[in-house]
Amino acid sequence: MGNLNEKKIGNLSDPKLPYDYMNRECGTVPLDANRPPFQWVSEVAYKNIHRIVSRGYDTTELVEQGYGVVDLLFIDFQARIPTLEEEKMLNYILILSLEDGLSMPAVMSRLVAKSKTFLTQACGSSILAFGHAYGAYSAFGDMVAEYLRRARKEGLSQSEMAQILVQEQPPGDILGISDLMLEDPAAKRLLARAEKLGVAGEHIAFLGEIAKAAQDQDESPVDVDMLGATGATMMDLGFTPEAIWTIIAVTRSFGAGAHFIEEIEREDFCRLGETLTPKEYYDGPEDRPVPPLADRHKTAQPAQTHNLESWRESFEKRKKLYGSGFSIVEEIEDPTKTKI
Amino acid sequence: MKEENKKQKLKNREPFLKRKTAISYKTEEKTVLRGYNLSDLAEEGYSFCDAMFVLLQGRIPTEPEEKMLKYEMGEFMEHSMSPSAASSIAVTAGRPNLPAAVAAAVMTFGSAHGPGAAHGYMMNKYLERARKEGKSIDEMAKILVDEYLDNNVPVMGMGQPQHRDGDPRAEPTHLKQEELKIDGLYLEFQRAIEKHFHARRKEEGRSYVPVNCVGAGNTALCDIGFSPNAAWCIGSMVRGYSCAAHAVYTLKKGRAWAASRNEPMVQMLDLSMINYIGPKDRPVPPQEERQQYAMKQKESGDYKKWVI
Repeated sequence: MGNLNEKKIGNLSDPKLPYDYMNRECGTVPLDANRPPFQWVSEVAYKNIHRIVSRGYDTTELVEQGYGVVDLLFIDFQARIPTLEEEKMLNYILILSLEDGLSMPAVMSRLVAKSKTFLTQACGSSILAFGHAYGAYSAFGDMVAEYLRRARKEGLSQSEMAQILVQEQPPGDILGISDLMLEDPAAKRLLARAEKLGVAGEHIAFLGEIAKAAQDQDESPVDVDMLGATGATMMDLGFTPEAIWTIIAVTRSFGAGAHFIEEIEREDFCRLGETLTPKEYYDGPEDRPVPPLADRHKTAQPAQTHNLESWRESFEKRKKLYGSGFSIVEEIEDPTKTKI
Repeated sequence: MKEENKKQKLKNREPFLKRKTAISYKTEEKTVLRGYNLSDLAEEGYSFCDAMFVLLQGRIPTEPEEKMLKYEMGEFMEHSMSPSAASSIAVTAGRPNLPAAVAAAVMTFGSAHGPGAAHGYMMNKYLERARKEGKSIDEMAKILVDEYLDNNVPVMGMGQPQHRDGDPRAEPTHLKQEELKIDGLYLEFQRAIEKHFHARRKEEGRSYVPVNCVGAGNTALCDIGFSPNAAWCIGSMVRGYSCAAHAVYTLKKGRAWAASRNEPMVQMLDLSMINYIGPKDRPVPPQEERQQYAMKQKESGDYKKWVI
């Protein structure tokens, strides 16, 4: 059967390879004696046999003193005890974020439930619904923070910077401003509560300016929506965009848990192969015969292109097949603009 | 085409999934949870914990019940390095979107890590047996403990691998339940289970294994009216908050990939962290020898000790 160092294996003796593959060392890498061994390093929390400590506070002592989950969110994410007003405000936001009918997180939870899984898998999948379009708190927060930074740097008022933001963002696609809450007063009540509690700050003020600028520009009516109201208020409470994104996604997962339970209570599980897709739903290539395997060389078309024009032509052709991914173009970070 | 779809979508706000639901509805004017306008609930001054009762039980809780849930969620939220936090940190090392790390964290809750639903189902099953068989709570607790231990099955709600002297959250939770005077049948049963569990282990000369946070917390959740799955949902999802904090911390202050050799401390995925104990390195047989090699390997059966 040969040994590791004698035989040629495929291309592994090719001189173009960066080192001698046929004589690579075997065995694992010894422990590094020059550096301390791995430990879980955390600024957030630690525990020992008798204590669990978050940002310096013993969590059992916290709850014994009457602090609750809302306070703990400030402690874990901001390393501080919130004021009573801040606690009330976040509490208010969490209630509004708890449930939203048969929206995407609930649907995802229910779909996962249908395959008979653990509840936690369904709730976890609901969290995955929070991307850069649905529940885009991070994208919203980054946008607001960036324009506020620019306003300070360029010496512009919030109102002036809001006008610039509205012009620079895709028309009708400004995060936090939409036509979704024109009839539902919940977002405006949330902002009013922030004012009443005295926790409203520059982010809420800026959101108001963005709304005004968007209303001036948009032909159809728009206003602050729940994404904007929640995001701006939580930023005024000191949460980062990333913290807001995850906190709201987790909050909704409780609601998703109820949907998981109800789906099991009221509906059947779904077996592999059970779901049909009627042909009228299908608009892909027409039905066609499978060519004999022996004829593959006659029918199969290679994907490779060898010049830019044929590459482009091929690319455009592939875009016509939905599900191939060629119609999706994702922006990647411009390395020349990367902040170091 | 895409623009047309977008416009159409704006006009049509119908749900993706057509379902009858008793949880909530949402119109252009309001979102209504179990009959209550969500915005009104918040305006009225109800707490997030109150809303959890509405969501999962369809009712406004009493003040002590709300206090108990606040206590329970507060104490269960952060647990430093557990499977859930470790998962969120490990997933963040790959730098996906943050929700992926949080989702992974809450998905670690299974049959060993925070098995809240299983504990609840265990309690309900034996309580029902007590009712049907005319046994007292104490008698049924002894039956439960004996049935589990006689069959070498761990009693759910007992023991925690890190807090060897007792989970610091557990007994205070029992005490809080008693202080708030919401100690119901479940706490009585749980206390009885603990009594018989400790007695039996002592009798067998085994070490003391105290109640854990599932045993205590889930008992409280059961006594304030949550179903096993609802209780599990509360316990597992609230941990998602702290795992999110661990993920954000790792994202902002940790190294992607967790294997850098430039960090002062050896990293989680440094090559030297690998302790391999599998089959020794062996040559890959060429294809022409493959069939003979494979048959010999199969016949020898040595591989079976590695099958997982």
